[in-house]
Amino acid sequence: MSRIKIVNLLIICTFLFLGLSIVNLQIIQGKKFKTLSDKNCIRIMSQEGCRGKIFDREGLPIVDNELSYDLMLLPQDKREFDKVLLAVSKVLGTTQKNLKDTLKKSFVASSLPVAIAKNIDLKKAIALEELKSDFPNIIIQPRPIRHYPYGSLASHVIGYLSEIDHWRLTKLQDYGYNTKDIVGFGGIEEKYDYYLRQDEGGLLFEVDHRGKFIRVLGFRAPHNGKNMQLTLSLKAQKIVEQCLADKKGAVILMDPYSGEIIAMASFPNFNPSVFTGKLTPSITNLFNNPDAPLINRAISGTYPAGSIFKLIVATAGLETGKINSSTTFLCRGSIFVGKQEFACWDTHNYQDIIAAIAHSCNVFFYKSGLLLGAQTIHDFSLRFNLSKPIPFELPYEASGFVPSPLWKKIYKFKNWFDGDTVNFSIGQGDLLVTPLQMARVTAVFANSGYLVTPYLVKGLDQRDISNHQRKIVNLHLKPRTLNYISQGLRNAVLDPKGTGHVLSGLSISVAGKTGTAQVSHGQPHSWFTGFFPYKNPKYVICVFLENGGPGYYACVVAKQIIEQMANEGLI
Amino acid sequence: MKDLFRNSYFIILLISLLIASIGILSIYSSTYQKEGKFWQEISRRQILWVFIGVLVFIIFSNLNYRWLWDCTYFLYTMALFFLFLVFMLGQVRLGAQRWFKIGWFNFQPSEFVKLIILIFLSRYFSKKSTDDISLLCAKFGIFRAIILPFLFIIVPMGFIIEQPDLGSGMMIFFLFICLLYFTGVRLRYIFVFLSASFLAMPLLWHFLRDYQRERLLVFLNPNIDPLGAGYTVIQSKIAIGSGSLLGRGWLSGTQSQLHFLPESHTDFIFATFAEQWGLAGSIILLALYYLLIRQGILIARKTSDCFGRLLAFGISFLLAIQIFINIAMNLGLAPVVGLPLPLMSYGGSSTLATFIALGILVSIDKRRAVF
Repeated sequence: MSRIKIVNLLIICTFLFLGLSIVNLQIIQGKKFKTLSDKNCIRIMSQEGCRGKIFDREGLPIVDNELSYDLMLLPQDKREFDKVLLAVSKVLGTTQKNLKDTLKKSFVASSLPVAIAKNIDLKKAIALEELKSDFPNIIIQPRPIRHYPYGSLASHVIGYLSEIDHWRLTKLQDYGYNTKDIVGFGGIEEKYDYYLRQDEGGLLFEVDHRGKFIRVLGFRAPHNGKNMQLTLSLKAQKIVEQCLADKKGAVILMDPYSGEIIAMASFPNFNPSVFTGKLTPSITNLFNNPDAPLINRAISGTYPAGSIFKLIVATAGLETGKINSSTTFLCRGSIFVGKQEFACWDTHNYQDIIAAIAHSCNVFFYKSGLLLGAQTIHDFSLRFNLSKPIPFELPYEASGFVPSPLWKKIYKFKNWFDGDTVNFSIGQGDLLVTPLQMARVTAVFANSGYLVTPYLVKGLDQRDISNHQRKIVNLHLKPRTLNYISQGLRNAVLDPKGTGHVLSGLSISVAGKTGTAQVSHGQPHSWFTGFFPYKNPKYVICVFLENGGPGYYACVVAKQIIEQMANEGLI
Repeated sequence: MKDLFRNSYFIILLISLLIASIGILSIYSSTYQKEGKFWQEISRRQILWVFIGVLVFIIFSNLNYRWLWDCTYFLYTMALFFLFLVFMLGQVRLGAQRWFKIGWFNFQPSEFVKLIILIFLSRYFSKKSTDDISLLCAKFGIFRAIILPFLFIIVPMGFIIEQPDLGSGMMIFFLFICLLYFTGVRLRYIFVFLSASFLAMPLLWHFLRDYQRERLLVFLNPNIDPLGAGYTVIQSKIAIGSGSLLGRGWLSGTQSQLHFLPESHTDFIFATFAEQWGLAGSIILLALYYLLIRQGILIARKTSDCFGRLLAFGISFLLAIQIFINIAMNLGLAPVVGLPLPLMSYGGSSTLATFIALGILVSIDKRRAVF
């Protein structure tokens, strides 16, 4: 009977089908289901440690942590959801539907608590805790979050915290980073994330289907991140940010002998606490702002140096002997190189090296530059470590650029003309520097010949590591060279016709050089770099105003800063 | 000894007892940790049911199955009566009205109704004379071959689906199709009938309860509602999958022990078993079931009596389809319908009905020589 045979065959086939399905489920997909099974009954109650705090040089906290509360819900008993969510929504002031959506979105497994509201303040957390007697599947989880007592102060040095992105994850996976980890972005938070980050601990335990505790499987204590002490001075930083406020630009205050950064500000800045919440419009605004508030202009912005580059040209001239103290050039307001006229900003008549620095005479440096040749200037620039990253402790440091005849030939297929040399010797043309590089160059004249390496981190978890941080290179400059140039810098302030004469009225003796760097669009960049007090320099200051106009404006900012610092007794 | 293994009576009893013991072990493992007198007693009650089942099996195997022919209409009436009784005063449990209480026993008539309908259909499609082995149906027109018996069936089926017990209702439908096929109704008719039912499906969708629709949708995608209707399927798949090759061992296995798996002693007992005994256990269990069904088919093929043969086929098929649907449902391959796994799942009605069916099977085998 063929029909029976067919049915018989059918039954065999169905049994084979069942057998193969079981093989598929238990062997081929077995691992997956094993982990799912573990997920069901093994629960981790995480206990987060605190991220390391960040202190200033006096030990005052710049960034610390505060407790925030998350509302978690055990999604086991479905029937109670509506009631729980209704009660919770009343406390939180959101709609029940909103909470339900969050719950559905972040649901993982029926036994894993789902965070349905984050960063609840203490009052609401207490109110929710009281609901617990009616709804036992509510969990209020305290969680330390970053607290910024001074808001946006030193935001570029500190950086901000956010959920790890894909690019960082691929790089950091091997170091124990996971998806959804909170990591530092920019600043110290990013560079020293490995030290600052806390180690999550937790309790591993088995639960039944109602979430009832069965037994402990393991425990790991949480560890706090390491605290960091920075070289920043909160007082100085506040002054600097006050004086710079609302202008685009950067200010650096540095110890000329050690390279400690006393203050570093960049404007526009941002408030890092914006990032502790979810992706809000204000974060999107930060990223879309054309003024790039997330960029640290002090280290990541490269700009033409303008007249402050004359320090290097002067050094090159004096060191090579192409000019000396008695060399004078006549400034008639402009010179002709070939058929092209290169102007000075004034008519200075006879100028020696000291006067030329004080008056920032372009003609003097045009002529010195032509004597030296572009290659020599280029080489000296490299001795001052331009065109390279320092390397500094903050991420995204720019290297800047120093042109040379060879570079022009290779990359631009053009010859280097004397006109280029002339431009180069007053810091225009293709030259690009960062404010921090220029602060470092200035420090050489403040500390008589040493190129210091700027640094920010003074101590790590009570341990003073500044000795490891100090890297000081002797540039082996002749004392004479240094002497002439610092005199020139001082005269720039003292001389009534000096470019930095605004600063002469201060009780502190300041030496410095202004710069007005021409740009292709808009106002020139305004520079001031100098050190004070003149005799025993304590600080190097570098003020940079992006499209801030003539160097005078940078001088005014510097004046305000120095004035206030003197008032605060910092000098 | 060799004769013993050729003896269907012995083989069927042995296999069914083996499966029933496995079932008792699994029921024990999934309930012993639960609190309450009811849960503590449950495995002992199942032992009692199996014991009664074996008695019933012995009784039925010694009776002449031909008397079933005589009391077919009586049984049919009884079936309708009980279903009506459930409909009127049955107990609502697990959202369905399938049981009513006789003493301490929750009687679930639909388990027996399946068997009665099988007997009814077997009688309908065969002649009284045991000598005439030719089937009636070859000469039947579509009305007598399909529509008339279907009208008889649709009444109890309607009652059962109304309970609501979609699983058993569908079972009866499958059984009907299967017997049509066995009796040699023209394929053309069967095909027409199937297409008609297929076309009627959207109509039936209308009559389904909300939760039944939900279950069918969840079968298509269990993740649409992981906390609600899809929960059981997901948990069951996790339980089976985490068993891997050798299982987690008896009385261990977190899915069943920590009660993540609902209905772990009834409909989802296979998942409980597979978690604890792994692939090895599951394959052995499948093999046992297959041997049981094979016995049924062997008996059917050897029987020349039309009624007996249809009955034997029907019983084998009844078992096969229940086993298939239940295990497939455990594996997430079939929608969750409340069908027990014969001999394994906890439940007096199901156990008794299965043992009765097996008893009838043996009886058919024994009487064969008589005619």
